[in-house]
Amino acid sequence: MIYIDTGSDNIYFNLALEYWLVTEKKPDDFVLLFWNSSPTLVVGKYQNPLEEINMEYAKTNKINICRRLSGGGTVYQDNGCWQFSFITKSTDTGIDFKQFISPVVDVLHDLGVAGAGFNGRNDLVIEGKKFSGNSQYIHGGYTVHHGTLLYDTDLVPLVEATTVDPQKIISKSIKSVRDRVTNISWHMEKPLSGIDFKKKMVAGLLGDGEVYKLTDDEIKRIQEIALEKFNNPDVIYGKSPKYSIKRKGYFDGGKIEFSIDVAKGIIKDVSVAGDFFGTVESSNFTEALKGCPYERQAVLEALGKMPGEVYKISKEEMADLIVEI
Amino acid sequence: MKKKIKLPKLGKDVKEYILVAINKEEGESVEKGETLYEIEADKVVSEIAAEDSGVMGQWFFEEGDQIEPGTVIGEIEA
Repeated sequence: MIYIDTGSDNIYFNLALEYWLVTEKKPDDFVLLFWNSSPTLVVGKYQNPLEEINMEYAKTNKINICRRLSGGGTVYQDNGCWQFSFITKSTDTGIDFKQFISPVVDVLHDLGVAGAGFNGRNDLVIEGKKFSGNSQYIHGGYTVHHGTLLYDTDLVPLVEATTVDPQKIISKSIKSVRDRVTNISWHMEKPLSGIDFKKKMVAGLLGDGEVYKLTDDEIKRIQEIALEKFNNPDVIYGKSPKYSIKRKGYFDGGKIEFSIDVAKGIIKDVSVAGDFFGTVESSNFTEALKGCPYERQAVLEALGKMPGEVYKISKEEMADLIVEI
Repeated sequence: MKKKIKLPKLGKDVKEYILVAINKEEGESVEKGETLYEIEADKVVSEIAAEDSGVMGQWFFEEGDQIEPGTVIGEIEA
């Protein structure tokens, strides 16, 4: 086994490192990463951030939003949440989590977390409360398995940021499962510092394996991948499954409700209803917004070119209503 | 000659997959080994490579559909 210290708490870099390993480096050996993130919400491959994340809370609290390549639901991570990644050549095409998770449980037992064990969904629990969610993606003959370890995470934003107003979104996206959660450190007689926990976990998982240090050129390449594949709004929002969303607002000029169909980040159809007055028809909105990227600035520009006005509802107010992100 | 694209069974306990990405549109050329589509089950996303070269024919399902292993989901004109 080879251990690589990512040297970063940037989620985009760390996920890009995994991707670089399986697409460019292509190691023969089993690789271990062990890292954490500044506050970040990570949606699964086939999820919609608008359905999973309290966007206003995330924005106010400066929480990063990211889309990973593996499946499953949305997770919140901060510097108190460690993440382990195992990268290995896929030996067969079967789905197997235990070969990756069992060693993690063994090391936790060695650290005195006696109650750590599996549940039925390939998560890890203590007394029925989840502290680790796991997922995988299989790419080019490699398996990337990664899992979270809630060690000393602030659970308030974890709950708040994933409590979403029931917006009227219809889609086939994968919905997150809400679990009761706990921190590992709460179950240790003498809790370690975060850094000491990391050191002991890495030592326990690596055994007599080797340590590899990334070169400057490799770091540069991984940073490029991070920008292209992960820290990119077209990926974070544009890769959402197609969905229909209703957005309703009340203004001095009356009530206005937009029904919007979005696919691959592009508005496919729009209809408008309400008790507002103006010189604009629903079909004007449809013509103006069809084909427009589902982004505030693009929507504002499209509305700016639309003929007619809505009485006492500005185009800025309508753009804010149509696009939350 | 039309070659059927059949959804594989990647895990013995998997009863259904979600088709999460279609990477080749109808009419696009396909090289054997290229990623044709992606499926998700039990929090695992798997890329599935084309078994034949040719031109992508019809897809019988769309992204988001839940499909049983063994189902024919599309065809390639090889």
